Amino acid sequence: MATAITNPTEFEYAGGTVAREQVSLWRDGLRRLRRNRLALTAGIYLILLVVVGLISLVWTPYNPNRIGTCETYALPGGGHPLGCDDLGRDSLSRLMVGTQVSLAVGVATSVIVLLVGVVVGLVAGYFRGPVDAAFSLLINIFYGVPPLLVAVALYVLLGAGLVNIIIAISATVWMDMARLTRGQALSIREREFIEAARAGGARAGKIVFGHILPNALGPIIVQATFVIPVAILTAAFLSFLGFGVPPPRADWGGMANEGLPSLQGGFDPYILLWPALALSITLLAFNFFGDGLRDAFDPRQKR
Amino acid sequence: MPGETLGLVGESGCGKSVTALSILGLVQRPGRIVGGKILFKGEDLVRMPVDELRDIRGRDIAMIFQDPLSSLNPVLKVGFQIDEAMQAHDKIPKDQIERRGVDLLKEVRVPDAARRANDYPHQFSGGMRQRAMIAMGLSNRPEILIADEPTTALDVTVQAQILELLRDLNEATGTSIMLITHNLGVVAGLCKRVIVMYAGEIVEQGPVEQIFESPQHPYTWSLLRSIPRIDADRRERLRSIEGLPPDLIQLPPGCKFSPRCPYRIERCFRDDPQLKEVAPSQEAACWVTMKRAYAEMGAATITDTRPGAASGVRPPKGVAAKVVDARTIDAAEGPVR
Amino acid sequence: MRGTLIYIGQRLVLIVFTVLVVSFGVFFIVHLLPGNAFVSDRVHGQALQILLHEYGLDQPIPVQYWNWLTGIVLHGSLGVSLYIRGLPITPLVLRELSVSAMLGGAALIITIGLGVTFGVLAAVRQNSWVDYLLTTIAVIGYSVPSFVIASLGILIFGQWLNNLTNGVIYYPEPWTGTYGTLAELSVPAIALGFYTSGQITRITRAAMLDVIQQDYIRTARAKGLVDRVVVLRHALRNALVPVTSILGPTVISIIVGSVVIENIFGIPGLGKEFVESIFQHDYNVTVGVFTIYAVLIGVANLGVDLIYTVIDPRIRY
Repeated sequence: MATAITNPTEFEYAGGTVAREQVSLWRDGLRRLRRNRLALTAGIYLILLVVVGLISLVWTPYNPNRIGTCETYALPGGGHPLGCDDLGRDSLSRLMVGTQVSLAVGVATSVIVLLVGVVVGLVAGYFRGPVDAAFSLLINIFYGVPPLLVAVALYVLLGAGLVNIIIAISATVWMDMARLTRGQALSIREREFIEAARAGGARAGKIVFGHILPNALGPIIVQATFVIPVAILTAAFLSFLGFGVPPPRADWGGMANEGLPSLQGGFDPYILLWPALALSITLLAFNFFGDGLRDAFDPRQKR
Repeated sequence: MPGETLGLVGESGCGKSVTALSILGLVQRPGRIVGGKILFKGEDLVRMPVDELRDIRGRDIAMIFQDPLSSLNPVLKVGFQIDEAMQAHDKIPKDQIERRGVDLLKEVRVPDAARRANDYPHQFSGGMRQRAMIAMGLSNRPEILIADEPTTALDVTVQAQILELLRDLNEATGTSIMLITHNLGVVAGLCKRVIVMYAGEIVEQGPVEQIFESPQHPYTWSLLRSIPRIDADRRERLRSIEGLPPDLIQLPPGCKFSPRCPYRIERCFRDDPQLKEVAPSQEAACWVTMKRAYAEMGAATITDTRPGAASGVRPPKGVAAKVVDARTIDAAEGPVR
Repeated sequence: MRGTLIYIGQRLVLIVFTVLVVSFGVFFIVHLLPGNAFVSDRVHGQALQILLHEYGLDQPIPVQYWNWLTGIVLHGSLGVSLYIRGLPITPLVLRELSVSAMLGGAALIITIGLGVTFGVLAAVRQNSWVDYLLTTIAVIGYSVPSFVIASLGILIFGQWLNNLTNGVIYYPEPWTGTYGTLAELSVPAIALGFYTSGQITRITRAAMLDVIQQDYIRTARAKGLVDRVVVLRHALRNALVPVTSILGPTVISIIVGSVVIENIFGIPGLGKEFVESIFQHDYNVTVGVFTIYAVLIGVANLGVDLIYTVIDPRIRY
């Protein structure tokens, strides 16, 4: 908490005081995070996942896209630990490559949402007035449509491709971040040190990015980590419905879609099992990690 | 004793509310009762099974609280909340209960009671809410009504009305009232007997007039001196008690009041005094007592009430002289649940 | 009461506005999509022009939108299908809406029932194994994609327990058409409701833990009420206020999930129609489904606001 400004010296260093609080906030948060074993396990899994994704860029056991690497519907065993899919492609190789799409979509969407949402939220929250009114109206409209369907429409409009998937998903999930940032900006702008900075002649840009943003950063970063699983889930939904990266490139949602007929037919549940497991565990890990981050860095926000 | 009015007095954070909550086993986790006995009609409430204790709650011993707004459920009608207290202990037809609920509201002088019973707590004023709480408390004609700071959250004029109501009800129904307060004026207006608590322990008890006339514990004496008096000499400064009550988790050895007491002697830091009779039906737990303080330390004319000022006794080495630290402030200011 | 009516009026205006903006936006987007509904018929040149003219598709988009809008207002018509040429859309989507509503309604009941029950149990047994188990189930709930749960359901009830369930739960590719029996809806509805139940569990638990600390809970216990009454009548009523706040997003989640679930189980609802219409460039159907969803969400949010006033008497509009 920034305390009330009681003397001119403190007034001068209002910004500095805030910065020092941030440092201790981060240190405290990291300590709390290290104590949370579940979040830590999730974090280690996610690091491993990134490593697998990087390895798959240069090496996989088999060519993930080559048809007829082995028998179609080959069950797990032998040279193919996870078996093969309906076209005789090696499931392990495809699963490894599928990591790339999920991680790329998750991280890229999170970054885009972070940039767009934070800027829009800060502007709406700090300047209020017509900007804020327009923003609120836009949010209201966006909350009136099912996000997945908007993503589908955008995806079809933009055409197939990884970048377009990221754009389509970003367009549907940025509002939560903007709303959160706006709320933070609205409350922080009323605090004493902002008053002090304004009285000291700081320009709006300096106040918004130098004073408000650093103080709102905790919840914003926590929210950004939760965007990753949401984006991965939405991407999986999209490609499960047939709006994914164009074939033959492997991604988990698409693999699950391809595996569904063999499951329904009752002859090979494994084609669906592996991507389903990979998706579920990854999303669980992101959520556990995000929960850990929130408990560590944003203790006020309880849900 | 039936029909009695007992005042339980002390500063904030000295254990009055916790004592009251303990009686009904309502202390919130992680708090718990570690020892002692609470006797009610010869039975120990501390060791009583939860089911039996639940029957006593609201039926034999009822309780009303400091903040009537937060103590009433915001989403349920006031009348319903009163009826519920009766339904918990009595199997009576619904319409009969509702009629009794309205009668109770009339009894506590809520105007237009039949209509107000259908209102929600937020539609009541502060005083009306406390009246509703009292109606709820009296609904089963309990033996004892524990009133925990019932007037603290109310306006001064409303305070007087509520106290008058409690006094009238005590006389009319014979329900004993245990009034918990930090305000000695409130005790004087309502109670016949008073217990003074400090740091979770009884330091003095006796009839109200007698205690007000000649308090024997220095703490009681200090409390009485801190009441503003209209007839006081204008030049006489109002005396407050230096320091704050101790952290109940880290109590000092010996007498708990010794770190703040102007009349302390060496022994006070060593031995914990027990209650003993200091006058007919008056007991105090003090090695010195005010009798001696008046006789030997000139308490009648004293102006300096800092710790040890009158007796000149400093704390022995190893005992923290510091009365106030950040933790004690937290403990004292925090809400007692 | 009068204030509430005015509020409802205002909200209806906002819903109409939102639906207009959304429908125009979607209308605009789908008409920008490459290709058209007649590609599969291999019509080109003059013949295609005639077809486009017949369906008004050669006019500027705002004009087409205006025609579509007047069609709704004047005739309650969402237009005709371009894929099955000339088939009126309104009766089609209304039938599909009834299917989806049944699935979604069942899922909503499951999600609230499960979420609130789990949340209350977890809060009452805070920090016990019950709490840890239920909160873990909650995280699994909103982490595992619904199509995974659905696949699991197919595997267990459709494959392993096929003899037991007699194939009622197992969905062969085409929908058998006998929707409406609870048994047939149960697996899809559970798969759909499980995801959102996790969020509700979390919110209910947090709200209950907060409410249990309140003074009026102490009062209720001091009256001598039994724990069950204290928890259900006094604590839960209050805890439902924050739970209500996520009912709007929950409805949206269920709509989104139903698109996936309907496609897995071959349930002929709006979600399945939506995906097909996109693939078939059946513009009017796409826009129609979108519009219905926008109305649905608007009404659901209004409903939630009205539920607030029932649960919390302090809230008045």
